[in-house]
Amino acid sequence: MPALPLDELQIPIKDPATGKLRTLPALHPDKKTERYFVLYKPPPKACIPALVEEYLERAQFIADDLDWLLALPYDKFWCQVIFDDTLQKCLDSYLCFAPRRFDELVDASPALLRMQERLHRCIFLTFLRISTHKESKDHFITPSVFGEILYDNFLFDIPKLLDLCVLFGKGNSALLRKMIENIFTQQPNYYSDLDETVPTILQVFSNILSKCGLQDGSSAEPQKLEEKGRVSPCGMALQELKDVVFYLCDTSTTLWAFLDIFPQASQTFQKHDFLSRLASFYELVIPELESVIKKWTFEESSLQADVWRRLSHARKKLVEISHIIVNQTCLQPILENSSDNIQPFVEEFLQVFTSLVQEKRFLRDYDELFPVEDDVSLLQQASSSLDETRTSYILSAIEAAWEGARRRKAPVVGPA
Amino acid sequence: MALPRLTGALRSFSNVTKQSDYNGESDDLMKKKSKLREYALHFDLTWKKIIEFVLHNVDKKEEAGINGDLKDILQAARQIVGAEYGQDAVESGAVFLFKIFHVKECVGQDETKAIKQMFGPFPPSSATAACDATCRITSRFTEEQLADLVRMFEVKNGDTARGFGKNIIFSLDMYDLDRSEELPVNGENGTHKPISLDYCRFQNNHLATYQG
Repeated sequence: MPALPLDELQIPIKDPATGKLRTLPALHPDKKTERYFVLYKPPPKACIPALVEEYLERAQFIADDLDWLLALPYDKFWCQVIFDDTLQKCLDSYLCFAPRRFDELVDASPALLRMQERLHRCIFLTFLRISTHKESKDHFITPSVFGEILYDNFLFDIPKLLDLCVLFGKGNSALLRKMIENIFTQQPNYYSDLDETVPTILQVFSNILSKCGLQDGSSAEPQKLEEKGRVSPCGMALQELKDVVFYLCDTSTTLWAFLDIFPQASQTFQKHDFLSRLASFYELVIPELESVIKKWTFEESSLQADVWRRLSHARKKLVEISHIIVNQTCLQPILENSSDNIQPFVEEFLQVFTSLVQEKRFLRDYDELFPVEDDVSLLQQASSSLDETRTSYILSAIEAAWEGARRRKAPVVGPA
Repeated sequence: MALPRLTGALRSFSNVTKQSDYNGESDDLMKKKSKLREYALHFDLTWKKIIEFVLHNVDKKEEAGINGDLKDILQAARQIVGAEYGQDAVESGAVFLFKIFHVKECVGQDETKAIKQMFGPFPPSSATAACDATCRITSRFTEEQLADLVRMFEVKNGDTARGFGKNIIFSLDMYDLDRSEELPVNGENGTHKPISLDYCRFQNNHLATYQG
């Protein structure tokens, strides 16, 4: 007899009240095991024994419970995942608060590190199991129902997917890519969720700008009176500056990690004109923060170097994000399609870069990592009817962006 | 605790995410501990099985002494678990104590912690009594019998070792900060201007650069 998918399976159980046998769907709240998952809290910032002990106790509970969960048979596992609210909160709290490697370093005891590693692994395996609709020949869920289960029970949402990428993407990229592709394939609603999230991400950029006292050109709101006092990041307190740079660092790394694992999301980002918004954000915020960090009189120079390092990292990630989007929305389709069908992608490329000509600093940094000339020559090879005027306009804009930089450096290296 | 994070902002601003409200859950550790006592009932290894094992492995003439020791453990369990939880809970508590102490000679810090985690605050004298009784039982065992006993406990733990994903190669590698160029000293790339504390001259030079 062929195995039934879990969502159609009926399992007989004894009614506790009457003692009679009745059948229940395999996925039913009554079949959930009573278990109480505690929330995850990150390791303490300092090695205070009482705090370390509390962390270890909490983490031990979670790791033990997840080991138990992973050892459950297929149907029991899914009942728990769907119907146990404490489990879902526990998983979400880990994604929220688990330390990223690029967070501030904390000296931790070996016991604490071992525990964190154990947790990290069982959290990943749990999400891996949740994102697999076919565990074996006999254990599977109908794909369309699987998609509904994921979405209706909030088993994944966009923030969780971003967290998963930044936490597990480096070491486990192949598996994670399969997981996330499967989630988006079985439940296309996640694309519309992503579409609704992009404006919020852009809002995060605007918030960073306004924290720095910089104005977003695209914002229609008049400047508020109370914010007027802050003219530039120069007026910020050290802690504020640190926060802004940490926030920028986390934001850019998280976005990049997501797009690196799932570049198919690029089109959804680009629907919101993401590239030009990102570039103008970059243009406003990067030079300003750079000059503030350079000028700042830090009491500890190590802190200054650390903040600088984070800003440089964020800078690079923002450029890499841009390149993934350009590659995914323009270059890749040009390479993959026959020459009859590439015109819209060529047009998109030209339009994107034409809209960026003002963003000189951004163009220069982008060109340094991903030479635009190479991409333009790809376009020239692929399309016979390329508008040379427009490509040379773009290339000369990039040339000009570099010129500006050289001129600034000129007094140092130029001949007397 | 609240590091500024993109996904934190998305969670609080976005309407496509279930609002995660972790307030009012600060006592979750307490709740967890109180529930653990109930779960202790679900141990696969029962007190009965331990008694069987122990009696099977010793001489008939020692049975009386062993029975006394087993009763001591059960009595200690009753005091630690609390009599109001019923015989099943007490027996599973006894299993727990036997398991903790079967390879130990005294009540150490780890054991105290484990018991406290499981049952909350407890009278230390009961733990000592349980430990002593367990030692009296295991001291009668030969090396081989002891190994069998250890194996019996391990098999029960082994269940979780067959869980989902045990063969999956998992990497702990995480994204770190990229290496980047050093902070340019005094904001000038690769220049080694002599630093002067003469402010007037500095200002004049500065103006000259701009005018020139």
